[in-house]
Amino acid sequence: MSEPAPTPAKNDDLLVAMSVRKEFGGLLAVNDLDFAIPQRAIVSLIGPNGAGKTTFFNMLTGLYKPTAGAVIFDGHDVTGKPPHTITKAGIGRTFQNIRLFPQMTALENVLVGMHSRLKGGILGSIFGTPRVRREEREASEKARELLSFAGLRRVDHELAESLSYGDQRRLEVARALATEPKLLLLDEPTAGMNPQETVAFLDFVSKLREQRTIAILLIEHDMKVVMGASERVTVLDYGEKIAEGTPHEIQHDERVIEAYLGKAATG
Amino acid sequence: MALIGLTTGAVYALVALGYTLVYGILQLINFAHGDVFALSGLFATTMIGGAVFGLTDTSTTLGVVGGLTATFVIAAVFGAAVNSSIEFVAYRRLRSAPRLAVLITAVGMSFIVQNISLAIYDVNARSIPPLISGHTVFNISGVVYTWDAFFVVLVTAPVLVLLTWLVKSTRQGKAMRATSQDPEAAAIMGINVNRTISFTFALAGALAGIGATLYLVEFNIRYDTGFTLGLIAFTAAVLGGIGNLTGAVLGAILIGMIQAFNEGLSWNAPGTAWTKSIVFGILIAILVFRPEGLLGERTPEGA
Amino acid sequence: MRGYRQRAVRASRLSRVAEAWGTLPERTRSLTPVVIVVALAVTYPFYVDSVPTNLPVIKTVPPLHDAVTILVFVMMGVGLNIVVGYAGLLDLGYVAFYAIGAYTAGWLASGQFEQVKVHFGAVGIPSSATGIHISIWLVLLIAAVVTAVGGILIGLPTLRLRGDYLAIVTLGFGEIIPQFVRNGDELHGFDLTHGTFGISPIDPPGFGHTLNSAIGLPVRYDESFPPTPDRLFFWTILALILLTLFCSMRLRDSRLGRAWIAIREDETAAGAMGIPLMRTKTWAYAGGAFFGGIAGAYIATFNSGAFPTQFDFNISVFLLCMVILGGMGSLWGVVVAGTILAWLNFDGLGNIGSWINTTLLPSSHQIDVPKYSFGIYGIIIVLMMLFRPTGLIPERRRKREIEEATHGGPLDQPLYEMRGADEPGAGERGEPGKVPRG
Repeated sequence: MSEPAPTPAKNDDLLVAMSVRKEFGGLLAVNDLDFAIPQRAIVSLIGPNGAGKTTFFNMLTGLYKPTAGAVIFDGHDVTGKPPHTITKAGIGRTFQNIRLFPQMTALENVLVGMHSRLKGGILGSIFGTPRVRREEREASEKARELLSFAGLRRVDHELAESLSYGDQRRLEVARALATEPKLLLLDEPTAGMNPQETVAFLDFVSKLREQRTIAILLIEHDMKVVMGASERVTVLDYGEKIAEGTPHEIQHDERVIEAYLGKAATG
Repeated sequence: MALIGLTTGAVYALVALGYTLVYGILQLINFAHGDVFALSGLFATTMIGGAVFGLTDTSTTLGVVGGLTATFVIAAVFGAAVNSSIEFVAYRRLRSAPRLAVLITAVGMSFIVQNISLAIYDVNARSIPPLISGHTVFNISGVVYTWDAFFVVLVTAPVLVLLTWLVKSTRQGKAMRATSQDPEAAAIMGINVNRTISFTFALAGALAGIGATLYLVEFNIRYDTGFTLGLIAFTAAVLGGIGNLTGAVLGAILIGMIQAFNEGLSWNAPGTAWTKSIVFGILIAILVFRPEGLLGERTPEGA
Repeated sequence: MRGYRQRAVRASRLSRVAEAWGTLPERTRSLTPVVIVVALAVTYPFYVDSVPTNLPVIKTVPPLHDAVTILVFVMMGVGLNIVVGYAGLLDLGYVAFYAIGAYTAGWLASGQFEQVKVHFGAVGIPSSATGIHISIWLVLLIAAVVTAVGGILIGLPTLRLRGDYLAIVTLGFGEIIPQFVRNGDELHGFDLTHGTFGISPIDPPGFGHTLNSAIGLPVRYDESFPPTPDRLFFWTILALILLTLFCSMRLRDSRLGRAWIAIREDETAAGAMGIPLMRTKTWAYAGGAFFGGIAGAYIATFNSGAFPTQFDFNISVFLLCMVILGGMGSLWGVVVAGTILAWLNFDGLGNIGSWINTTLLPSSHQIDVPKYSFGIYGIIIVLMMLFRPTGLIPERRRKREIEEATHGGPLDQPLYEMRGADEPGAGERGEPGKVPRG
């Protein structure tokens, strides 16, 4: 790719996306979006369905290659890098429609998340060298810790597919945390939850940030959800950023009300 | 040489279209398709020779024309029936299963159909008497083109036109295209998805039936002919861009020509013994370097 | 009355046995069946000849010579299980690995290359013999490595492809390699594969005179009179299978094995969890190829030849059938299904067919059952996919309950509580897949 050399990220921003653009055939899904996440911040990306949120998200995590633009994470250019490289760099994610490994236990799901942090090789595993065995033992220990953290300690040997919906959502977060992220991306994590569950989940998210010193990016289409939880909100519509600011500012932004709430009211 | 390639290519085209049609609608490589081809061809030999029509090379022209026409229709109906039954028996129950499971089932169905052929027609190759004369149509500076080869092209062309019309302009064709785009949306729009899929399989089977009858004009068929021929035709479909009808025909003609040149030329060509390797070499090269084929479009990465 | 009491006594005895069984440690309980099966297998050569030949339906158990071939195929099934069962990659060209293994043995342990004279540890070969003659034990290892490299070479360009394209490309390789072998007797005047005749004879395995006089190991396997050579070949393949199973099991429980299963379950999610997809899939290919290579080389030395007709597409499907019937990813399933299917293929269908023909059918309507073997495998594949896609012995995700920590520790205080939501109480869980509304 022959893009201009990306400008170095500002010191206080963990992630910077510069003029990121994505086209599918002739369809413009994300139009030259600039976006930044400060260290340890909770920020939200909202917008109506089809506004390009998940597309943008998928570019950050390497699932899509941007048509143009650059993504700088933690001082490194990660534009168009494959997902596993980006995960290793420190971005963990969940999926909008839960994507656990259904035939693996909760514990194994979390262990898979640790993949890039473990070293065990083929020969070491076959011969069961002390190093590999110790590593596996420590990994299981840590995985249990994460499961406890997510309130799933009691189901660690259940298959992921047999867990309840709420447990599955939490397991996905635990699995993402196992990748030891500096930035956690949550794609519509409260989809399918009732108001009480949603409140509990957002509570969990803010505790997460305090205890784990990580930044969090929330994607939501329901605006009300993020207002309480996030420090900064960015609003997308038709692939373009139409507003950015504190939840209070966004709630009173006329363009947002018109483009977003207005649509929601009529739809 | 190019003309001979065109003739073989025409048969491949009919089979390749079957793969492409089914793939277009279900994203499934119907491994059993080649075996449906072989079974239909064997069935056609029963029709033409022996008890049913009893055609021989001494039959009257009218008899040959009438008998062959009837055979084409019957073989097409037979192929359609077999192919849509396969869909009904096996694939329909797996609509929501992982794609791997459906693919494996297709491999299994292939063997089942092949063994049905084996059970009915045994291991011997079957052929039909030379009904179409092998006389020369024209002879340009030593290149001979015979009637029987010409006949294959003569039949294929209108079939292709008919198919294009069917897919492009009829209601059923529109339903097919809608279903291949988005089955759920199609269902919401009131399209009977299952019936459309059955229809697609029937159409593919009918093409295989016609193709098999044409194949008999020049070659003979055995219970396992369909395996290699099916793979070659599939390669053609992929070469043209799977899911793309024009692409399948173009790919088939190209493969037919490559095969003809490889087997017919004495200079530097590796020869018949290597045909399979060449065809698969092409297949692998396309899939690796240009998986959308010659005419296919790059589909947007789906989430 | 007496019958009833006897039955009651017997039942209570049985229940006492069951009770005693239940008190045994978990490890003993799970190991016992394995030990019994292995013991039965190891002693097979001693009782195989005393099994009656007029048993109903199956007539008899396979003779030792066939048992060796059966076990070679089981070994390949276990190898294919790594590719298809663990990583979920549909490989329809596994026979290519088998062929590479067999021909590697052919090249390195026969008189094929008469231009050279290389001897290294081969047994019973006169030192004047031309060709390459390397010790079979070394050849098995070389074949495994060569085939694994072949697997990587095939994998690198193709593993990027979606599942169904991958299937067809592997099928292509599975067709090209036998054709190459068949036509490879005149590559620019060089005879690489000896064409349709195949490479034969191939040197036998053995331990040579030094080890023979030291610890009594046989000099060469084919030297003595039957049944001894078959016995030696049988025990060797049994050892190879146990080795394969051991490696396969260790890999499954490793970081790599988890990554394979994660890819099988959800490739996108696996990538997002930091698993390098290409590299991990390539390792699955290499692993499967490794064991396929050993199996191919071993059967080449057992048959003392490698022939192009051995490497049919049907073999690939046959092996796939083992994995599907056993249950994808299930090691014991594949071993059981593989043994049954391979036996059916070599003896079973013939035996069952002749039993059907003599006892069930009139002499005017006889069925040649083995002729339809692949139709039968096709039916097995389709029926399994339709009605029992997890296989006969489904892969049971292990429960590592042994090292469970005690409850009530600080780890068990969940930070995250769903107040009034789906946590009715400690130890209870909501209905799977349902979202209880509070």
